Amino acid sequence: MADPMHQFEIQQVLELPAVAGFDLSITNSALWMIIAAASVTLFFAAASAKAAVVPGRLQSVGEMLYELIHNLTDSIIGHEGKKYFPFVFTLFAFILAMNLLGMVPYFFTSTSQLAVTATLGVLVIAVVIAVGFARNGLGFFKLFVPSGVPFFVLPLVVVIEVISFLVRPVTLALRLFGNMVGGHVVLKVFGGFVVSLGALGALGIVGALVTLSGTVAITALEFMVAFLQAFVFAVLACVYLNDVVNLHSH
Amino acid sequence: MAQTTPELEPGGAIVETPPTTTSYDLHESTEAAEHGSSGLPQFEFGYWPGQIFWLLIVFVILYVILSKLFLPRVGGAIEARAAKIEGDLADARSARDEAERQSAAAAAELAQARARAQKTAADAKAAAKAEAETRNAAEEAKLHERLAAAEAGIQAGREKAMSNVRSLAAETAEAIVEKLSGQAPTRAEVDAAIARNAA
Repeated sequence: MADPMHQFEIQQVLELPAVAGFDLSITNSALWMIIAAASVTLFFAAASAKAAVVPGRLQSVGEMLYELIHNLTDSIIGHEGKKYFPFVFTLFAFILAMNLLGMVPYFFTSTSQLAVTATLGVLVIAVVIAVGFARNGLGFFKLFVPSGVPFFVLPLVVVIEVISFLVRPVTLALRLFGNMVGGHVVLKVFGGFVVSLGALGALGIVGALVTLSGTVAITALEFMVAFLQAFVFAVLACVYLNDVVNLHSH
Repeated sequence: MAQTTPELEPGGAIVETPPTTTSYDLHESTEAAEHGSSGLPQFEFGYWPGQIFWLLIVFVILYVILSKLFLPRVGGAIEARAAKIEGDLADARSARDEAERQSAAAAAELAQARARAQKTAADAKAAAKAEAETRNAAEEAKLHERLAAAEAGIQAGREKAMSNVRSLAAETAEAIVEKLSGQAPTRAEVDAAIARNAA
């Protein structure tokens, strides 16, 4: 059976000179990020080309995605959410494109790389911290001091709040990474079963058919996961932004 | 806003155990042995800086393209549609109001016309009735007149006949008296006798 981890291996596509000791060559992971971003760009170029009052199919999908995230920032962050909508939308569209491209056989899934998901998670938290300080100054630290807590448990609560804040990028990164890797490994393993069972004769073929239908079902599930994880990432980015945008209401 | 500071990059700290080999060598080595302790390709930290670098570049470019170009266009189309629907609804509403006003005016006009027509018909009927009555009256008067004339004629005839009868009676009486008495009475005596008897 093929090594299910083989699909995650990084390969160099275009070698670039190292900068300050860091290898910044374009790898297959970086290449598929670029392809994903280009796909998003092309899709929205086509979807918004006509901007017709009665939308075509492509424009309808583009507007559906737009309104999905727009409603998200609106309902979670509130009126101020408009400012952060482009950021959240870029996150969502980019992750969704990388996830969906990964569903195509032989395509590489950039979001199955911890380096990518961790960077995205840290990026979200960095933006949250930047927005927090820009809007509240040092009042940002009130985020860790919930009101209405008795003073004798306050130190404990503050420690818990700080830890929970610091864990956020980790959970963001691991959730997306784990879902993508897990799904792809399962697909690969089941696909391998189909082949190896099919080689075992009549009974094996029956088993292979069962496994094949399982693979088809998991493929459908993975398409849903690809969408859902991008959406969850966007939702959590909104929730974390809301924490610092509407800090006073805590 | 959308950049991490270098110290926030997770790769930055980790790459201090550097891939001293060039990436080409690193790629070769992955085929055979593993770099990370877990054996997952994702933990080959030598490839992290490149991925992080390109991810941030691509993300910023995509952010700029989407936020400056496509998102305003998509949002604009949605808003234009909402405005158009709103405007069309307002137009339809005013058109409906206008139609209602016109239909009310038409109904009022119709009612007026009907009232006028009814009045004209009633007038005509009354006029015809009056004319018929006057004509009837005239006819009746004429008939009365003719009746009266006929009655007068009859009366005259009767009187004439009565006087004839009287003279006939006088002559008869004269002749009877002459025959009985042999002496003719005078006409005056006969007349007086007849008048006495007739009275």
